[in-house]
Amino acid sequence: MRFRTAESGRLSLCLWAVLCAGIALCPQTFAGQATLVIHGAKLYPISGPPIEHGVLLVADGKIVAVGEEGKVKIPRGTTVEDATGKVVMPGIVDSHSHIGIIANPSASDSGDANESSGPIEPGLRALDAIDPADPNIRMATAGGVTTANIMPGSGNVMGGQTAYVKLRGNTIEQMLIPGSIGGMKMANGENPKHYGAKDKAPMTRMEEAALARGIYQKATQYKAKWEAYNKAVATGDKTAKPPDRDLELEPVVEILEGKRVVHNHTHRADDIMTAIRLSDEFRYRLVVHHGTESCEVADELAKRHIAVSFTIVDSPGGKLEAMNLDLSCPARLEKAGVKVALNTDDPITSSRLILRQAALAVRGGMSEEAALKGLTIYPAEMLDLGDRIGTLEAGKDADFVVLSGPPFGVYTHVLQTWIEGQKVFDRSNPQDLRYATGGFGVADRFPASARGGN
Amino acid sequence: MRRLRWFTGLICVASATALLGQNIAVVADHLYTMADGTQGGPGVVLIRDGKIEAVRNAPHQQPPDGYTVLKGVYVTPGLIDADTTAGISGAYNIPADQDQDEATDPNTADVRTFDSFNPNERLLKVLNQYGVTTVQSAPGPRNPIAGRAGIFKTAGTGSGPATVEQLAIRQESAMVFNLGDTPKATYGKKEKAPTTRMKTAEIIRHALLDAKAYEEKWDKWKKDGTDISKQPSRDMKLEALLAVVDGRLPAIFNAYRADDIDTAIRIGSEFHLHYIVASATEGYLIADAIRRAGVPCLTGPVMQRMESLQTANATFENPALLKRAGIPIALMTGYEGYVPKNRVLLFEAGIAAANGLGMEEALRTATADAAQILGVDDQVGSLAPGKDADIALFDGDPFEYTSHVLAVLTSGQVSYQRR
Repeated sequence: MRFRTAESGRLSLCLWAVLCAGIALCPQTFAGQATLVIHGAKLYPISGPPIEHGVLLVADGKIVAVGEEGKVKIPRGTTVEDATGKVVMPGIVDSHSHIGIIANPSASDSGDANESSGPIEPGLRALDAIDPADPNIRMATAGGVTTANIMPGSGNVMGGQTAYVKLRGNTIEQMLIPGSIGGMKMANGENPKHYGAKDKAPMTRMEEAALARGIYQKATQYKAKWEAYNKAVATGDKTAKPPDRDLELEPVVEILEGKRVVHNHTHRADDIMTAIRLSDEFRYRLVVHHGTESCEVADELAKRHIAVSFTIVDSPGGKLEAMNLDLSCPARLEKAGVKVALNTDDPITSSRLILRQAALAVRGGMSEEAALKGLTIYPAEMLDLGDRIGTLEAGKDADFVVLSGPPFGVYTHVLQTWIEGQKVFDRSNPQDLRYATGGFGVADRFPASARGGN
Repeated sequence: MRRLRWFTGLICVASATALLGQNIAVVADHLYTMADGTQGGPGVVLIRDGKIEAVRNAPHQQPPDGYTVLKGVYVTPGLIDADTTAGISGAYNIPADQDQDEATDPNTADVRTFDSFNPNERLLKVLNQYGVTTVQSAPGPRNPIAGRAGIFKTAGTGSGPATVEQLAIRQESAMVFNLGDTPKATYGKKEKAPTTRMKTAEIIRHALLDAKAYEEKWDKWKKDGTDISKQPSRDMKLEALLAVVDGRLPAIFNAYRADDIDTAIRIGSEFHLHYIVASATEGYLIADAIRRAGVPCLTGPVMQRMESLQTANATFENPALLKRAGIPIALMTGYEGYVPKNRVLLFEAGIAAANGLGMEEALRTATADAAQILGVDDQVGSLAPGKDADIALFDGDPFEYTSHVLAVLTSGQVSYQRR
């Protein structure tokens, strides 16, 4: 990809470099100033039809304009990046990932996804265990992922609070999306039953449901106590005593208040119906995750507007609840009117190949349009971030991916990944390339003949 | 139009059983025979009695009368998974269907995949539906000396369930040796040997030396006479290893890390074995040494996770780098302990194709080259007269994510067709 500047200016290029360096520290210094234009690529805005020869104008980490070549006014001094023949789509949103919380490579003491000391752990926060230096995060950017829902594992009925992050920064604070509180991980079916082997609950699906119902009942009561207290204070009652704070119940109250979405690991159709039953009973917002047999209850999901974050693996089985995995399931959900995201469940599948996840859904009969939405706006909506990311529209974060060819082609490579106007992955950089292909840990041991090309 | 053409072709096929004993003509827009000659042009493959009768590489070939016509946009030989646990490690992943690792003794040279292989395992059907018609099914990664692999078709030719005898191309194809992290992790937990790589190598060398000594003992007895009271006791393990030492049975060394691959080369050359390296995750780091040793590699899975230290340096480019270094390679899927329970060679080859190997080389690696390395190229791996009619028909580039397998022929019978 070639760089040129719209003006003759070596000066503007220098200015660009300075601005780039300062972007994280003082974004307000060039608010409203156009700094970068991606030019000539086929654009998939997702919010509308593809644009064959498009222009994407970025300033201050935000998208300023999207349109056809010649129809978008490019301000003087803008750095122009020629992407003729390339494809540009929004940054990919992975609605189900464990990067940073399941280390890579993993050792017995480095996995932090499952707190296996108890099945109900709403007080846990994924953000307290995410390692921003985990190479999986850079590998995810090599796959075009810009935003991820990093979750605790599925070993617990209620596994903890998930984190909505951008894949940049050296600390979890820099990664977290401002204003987001994350979701809540829940799981039913096979996985939480592992406690049975320790003679602890749950050892049946019945108990899993009972435990879930129990925590929601407690939270309902806790919420009522606080409401009563707040009401008393509001009416001037100076003797009113606040209930004791409960770190476990507070996030569950956020679920009941609709502020926090439940991300529920659930495969089998009857388990999915159990998850739905609980969400009906306690009136909370639910996203079905994995959803292996979700197409069997597609109408139940559609009528409640429950979305599915689907995980595709290459063959059925490995566990009983995944025996009926079929590539046609996402297509069947689409047909029933269910919004479907395609996730990686990294490390189950590699974030580097998240485009492949959606491509396999297309192989199974899903439309390319729905599959593209399933990587972008639908998962963004599942994370309540649909107004901020997931499409290429003016005002949204400048998160985008430059591809070498059609999004669902096996020979297509992610060339660049940008988050809020900053390039976080560039395949032409040999070090970055290793995160796309592998072997980054031994890059300096590579014999000269082993340097790979495209 | 193209879609319509193949579709009408398939309509001719009322059911798989209707094709029993029939002559079939496979008509291709892009025929990849992987035999001598140009690849990718239009052509026709004629099939009679389960074997390939003739291959005609020319445009506008009309199949002769009396042949049922199947049409594909891309037509290739059935794919070969050079090393997998399919057939002995079932989809349910519960003790009842897991027969890949007899982890009770670090030396189980006496066991055979052949005696565990479930011809009706569902995963075999899944693989067949993705065009994989032949697998070398091998014991799992846990024992330093794990037992004997076999080579099998993934679908039978009868109308009912197949037997393992019917599916086997080679009842015993290789002895599997495992190096690296897994054996020591397996036995270390039980406070048994091996707990180090040193011991794993020693166990293997010791057993191979014992096999030689066993042979000498028998030779001596045979020479001295026929006194049955002095006959050496028979030892199934040593007899199995004797075939390896004598070069009658190839050895497969499953090794991930570069130094483990080097250990395979060291033991292989010490005992003058006919040997192959499997997995070969870090093979690209010592490609020169592998080439010098003249050892072929079964490499993969290409999408291998980097979860363990011995696979942390996996790269999608490994097949391309090994190939470029002049090493004969085949692709494999190995053993998976969770989901996906078995990887699919078609998908693994696709990632290799997209990462330096290219479509045609990836296809050759997954078919003709694999057959040659496994020593079954007289029967499978390419489309040539006299070979088994194992053929995959696709509606586009076989490796494209969004292509479909239209039909699969195994030993001349339609084992899968897309509805």
